[in-house]
Amino acid sequence: MLVDTDGAAVLAGGQTLINVLKLNLAAPTALVDIHRLPELRIIKPAEDGALVIGAAATYAQVAADPIVSSAQPSVAAMAAGLVDRQVRNRGTIGGNCCLNDPTNNFPPLLAALDARFRIAGPAGERVLDAADFFTGTMSTALTPDEILIAIEIPPLPGNARIAHRHLQIGADSWAVARAAVRLDIDAGIVTSARLVAGAVQNSPVRLHDIETTLTGRTADASLPLAALEAFDDTRIVTVDDVHCSAAYRKQMCKIQVRRALEEILAQGSRS
Amino acid sequence: MTSDPNPITVIVDGREERGVVSARKLLVHWLRDTLDERGPKIGCDTGNCGACTVRCDGHLVKSCMVLAVQADSTEVETAAGLAAEDGTLNHLQSCFKRYHALQCGYCTSGMLMTATDFLESGEEVTDQSTRRALKGNICRCTGYENIVRAVRAAAGQDVPLPHGAVPTREGDDL
Repeated sequence: MLVDTDGAAVLAGGQTLINVLKLNLAAPTALVDIHRLPELRIIKPAEDGALVIGAAATYAQVAADPIVSSAQPSVAAMAAGLVDRQVRNRGTIGGNCCLNDPTNNFPPLLAALDARFRIAGPAGERVLDAADFFTGTMSTALTPDEILIAIEIPPLPGNARIAHRHLQIGADSWAVARAAVRLDIDAGIVTSARLVAGAVQNSPVRLHDIETTLTGRTADASLPLAALEAFDDTRIVTVDDVHCSAAYRKQMCKIQVRRALEEILAQGSRS
Repeated sequence: MTSDPNPITVIVDGREERGVVSARKLLVHWLRDTLDERGPKIGCDTGNCGACTVRCDGHLVKSCMVLAVQADSTEVETAAGLAAEDGTLNHLQSCFKRYHALQCGYCTSGMLMTATDFLESGEEVTDQSTRRALKGNICRCTGYENIVRAVRAAAGQDVPLPHGAVPTREGDDL
């Protein structure tokens, strides 16, 4: 139906799309409701050990699933804290990613976790990584006749540490700035770093220069300071909006990076 | 290609209701305007205020954010189904009354549905967890204090009555 109907749109949890329709910001000719398709709500481990989360799995489902909590606790924790009780029962992890609102929670975290995005369309399936899936503010690589069917998160090595920090307008509400960080630390040395900024333009944005700066360094109190210095040299495009100026947002993003790194240092290694 | 009108069958507070709706019809509009079911209120119509909260197949949702066609073949519970048929308030409703947990009453049915869902979930009931559970329900008059007290009292906790409240027994009419 999505292929045969010009201007059709996919409806999953509807927690954004229905508001968009009310405001006449979109006028699809047909809605293809996928929210009750069981194969899109499945949560399971894949053969290669990755965690597969169906795109139409709700936040409540992701938060409560023991497989998610044990394989990717940061994903479960994020789902548990989203918006409010009602929206968590309806909003989906796939919808959160496909919308790619810069303030959305999941895109930066999933990018930091090397998540892969499995897409189905008339030509079959394809799998993209975060850098290719998220193409810009409110946009993804999905074509109109494709749907996201699952998000696959590779297993974490035992030395991986993850932190996500954000500054929000209110509890569980819109973010002004986000940072998602994953560091792999071996014998006190950072062997691999992923830093992703959220709530900035074209987010999620990998902060490659800071990653390079941190890789190979000793994981001690000097780490956040090195990141702050590298942050000042990084070009991050932010915008003014009703909540704050672009300069404030960039400064807050920097602080979230620092706090995420401090949190990682405070964590023991996962084991 | 359109598929209007769409036949739907929904169990609403235990009654089977059949209807024919356009794809654009919101669940809250069908419940209120077609079925005359006045439990869910329309507050913000943007998914923020929670006045339209119902449960759909046991899941707490805002009925202004669900299309009526999406509720086809589900069971919907509204606040109108909480009291007994003769109007006797249930335990939670009595606690709302006793603790003065409402003023204008517009948010109340949504609050009651969320509180019902929270209390049935088995989650630990504390001041903090109650406030967090009610986050998706906005009240513009009570200041929330008495709503939180009422929910905690309904969970069997010993909660002091608000200042000036007239002690009543459960089930008493004012």
